[in-house]
Amino acid sequence: MPPAGARSDDAAALIARIAQGDREAFSRFYDAFARTTFGLIRRVLRDSGPAEEVLQEVFWQVWQDASQFDPRRGSPETWLLMRAKSRAIDRLRSIRRREKTFVMPVDESVAHAAQPWADEPAAAVEGRGLLESALAQLPAAQRRVIELAFFEGLTQSEIAARLGEPLGTVKTRARLGLERLRGVLGGGRLQAT
Amino acid sequence: MNREEIRELAAVYALGGLDGEDRARFEALLHAGDAEATAALRDFESTLADLAAESAEAPPPSAKAHLMERIAAEGRREPPSAVVTPFRRRRALWPAVVAAAMAAGIAAIAVGLSISTSYEKRLDALAREAGALKAEIEREQQLLAMLSDPGTEIVALSGREPAPAARARMIWNAPVGGLLVAAGLPPAPAGKAYQLWAIVGKNPPVSAGVFTVDAKGTGSLRVAPLTGVGKVDVFAVTLEPAGGLPAPSGQMYLAGKS
Repeated sequence: MPPAGARSDDAAALIARIAQGDREAFSRFYDAFARTTFGLIRRVLRDSGPAEEVLQEVFWQVWQDASQFDPRRGSPETWLLMRAKSRAIDRLRSIRRREKTFVMPVDESVAHAAQPWADEPAAAVEGRGLLESALAQLPAAQRRVIELAFFEGLTQSEIAARLGEPLGTVKTRARLGLERLRGVLGGGRLQAT
Repeated sequence: MNREEIRELAAVYALGGLDGEDRARFEALLHAGDAEATAALRDFESTLADLAAESAEAPPPSAKAHLMERIAAEGRREPPSAVVTPFRRRRALWPAVVAAAMAAGIAAIAVGLSISTSYEKRLDALAREAGALKAEIEREQQLLAMLSDPGTEIVALSGREPAPAARARMIWNAPVGGLLVAAGLPPAPAGKAYQLWAIVGKNPPVSAGVFTVDAKGTGSLRVAPLTGVGKVDVFAVTLEPAGGLPAPSGQMYLAGKS
């Protein structure tokens, strides 16, 4: 993989061209980031049916909103992945709401009955190994808060209620967890905190 | 607010979990251009992006093909202005859903009024949710309408030699079309896809579309009405080159008599 800085510069240049309506730039941007974006969406949704739809939504919005990208706020990849995460969580919430309120639609009930999560083939999970091993280096309590918020879309209050911990503890664990994670992933400058 | 507190809010915000008063406070900081808050958020978001980037998975090629087609067809639209009319004024089949969305909207507006960026952000999120809900409602309305139509039949397809455990249901209504839902199929090899066929008597099979399955072996296919095809006797699924062929050439994976 090229150095992150160079890659970000390239990606920022692509975004600028996409903002001008350059389809070739969009195609290259997609090729560069679709795999990580899809991996993240799948990690949140755990079902590739809607995952493909969400992926298309996210990249469609890249096409629409490229001019809103602000390099001062972070790299293009961060911009993209944070949006992908939000869309995936939106979708997850709407699925949950529906499952709570209504009978599952036919196709999903068939799919679930035939293939419970546990049957997910090793190949699909393999790509997530690195992510899981990064998370595994966090203390369990910090990891739990990050997973509940980032991958399951719970708010800090919901997490506090679910874990039976004070809100302040949840916030502290989120901060410590992310600080530790930054060290683990070796990204960014380490700050003395 | 001290530095540590700002970093805590930034961490939870980056994780997407900041709510209530904390969220309003942190968004006010961002809006005011607070350097500490902005830098902390940028760091944490970039860390999370690095984490997310550890789990790469190739999306189906159809995703890019659809996007490029859509871009070629639609070009760039004006950015959606605040979507204030998320639901068409028509029979509200699910008043509960609408009421919940409206309640969420009112709550979002109440909180958002104080800070305009937060306001816009929430409207945006609501519009997205409303859009997703609308699509869902429409999809399920179609399905319900079809299921409640006495002309609709449900055909069970069972697995053949290459995948005996595979199974599928074809919900079929000749003038309306149908929906195939399959489970237990092996993922199609690169360059291949599953193709659904409708067979009437001794006539050559008619293609009803191609589909792929996800890593768990499940897939579905919406089928448009098949023009010029009478009462379908058999639905069958074969493995064909991606894109499908005019006549079946590969092994049969699923079949069922209507």
